[in-house]
Amino acid sequence: MALAALLTFILNTLSGIVALLTSYYAFRFGRVAGNSLLKAISFGFMLLGLGLFLEAGTSAVLGHTLVGITKYRTLTGVESLSYLSIQMVAYLVFALGYGYMVFGRSDQDLAGSAVAAAAAAGGARALGLTGLYRYAVASYFVVLLLLAFVVFQGILIHSKSRSRFSLWVLAAFSLVLVAHVLLLAAVVALSGNLFLVGTSIQFLGFASLLVFLLRSGRIGAG
Amino acid sequence: MGQAEKQRSVLRIHLDILNAVSEEGDAKPTHVLYKANLSHERLVRYLDELTSKGLIEVKQDGENRTYNLTPKGVSFLLEMRRAEAFVSGFGLAI
Repeated sequence: MALAALLTFILNTLSGIVALLTSYYAFRFGRVAGNSLLKAISFGFMLLGLGLFLEAGTSAVLGHTLVGITKYRTLTGVESLSYLSIQMVAYLVFALGYGYMVFGRSDQDLAGSAVAAAAAAGGARALGLTGLYRYAVASYFVVLLLLAFVVFQGILIHSKSRSRFSLWVLAAFSLVLVAHVLLLAAVVALSGNLFLVGTSIQFLGFASLLVFLLRSGRIGAG
Repeated sequence: MGQAEKQRSVLRIHLDILNAVSEEGDAKPTHVLYKANLSHERLVRYLDELTSKGLIEVKQDGENRTYNLTPKGVSFLLEMRRAEAFVSGFGLAI
């Protein structure tokens, strides 16, 4: 296995574990608090975790990163298509959930999150792309829009709560956003090195999420 | 989030009561009433609920009545504090 593929496998596996851990805690506390939004967050992180495992598996089995697979036009693009689609749905769930949290239940405010979803879908259509390479570019672009929306909502939430926990979550999504800018650039430029840098920054985002899980888990223990 | 600020959920009230009881061993009703910011009638109702759920226990000493957390109440409070920290990360409140 190429070094880049090995590193992608390791980083995505670790990120996937953190995503599934977050999903578990969101589900557990969502049940305790009877909060359906937490269940939506749990669902989003579960999808993200599964998607990351899928991409890690693809890298391990094929010995190439997603960029490499696209470059060499292998027929195993189904795995990549699945990963990209799962990732898009996961971030769409976060965008809608975050919009709901920030703006509440009013129809007018819910429109904000609907606009984000529509903009994402519009962005994909505007690209008018087909094929694995084009689908990869379009999906990273859509995820980028959704993440930008999530980070914006995260800033609003943190500016209101000033909680160190919301800061960790905001840092996590911000790093994942930066990672996706690089991942999109990597897919466009077919640069394996840039893809690895993007994957590493994405891992840092999940590491921030892990710190949040550990810190919030300590509360009440003393 | 806006709704949580307007009206405390039952869970939030339970948590406030359990926190008040946990702060002071043998907590008196007046202490809990003050800390949880409840009327006497509502306090009695919620204390009865928590007692029936086995989260707090009542100690009657003549005219004086005090409350303590049960082991189940301690575990529940710990879990709720963790849940509170977790949900705050996503801008939510219990």
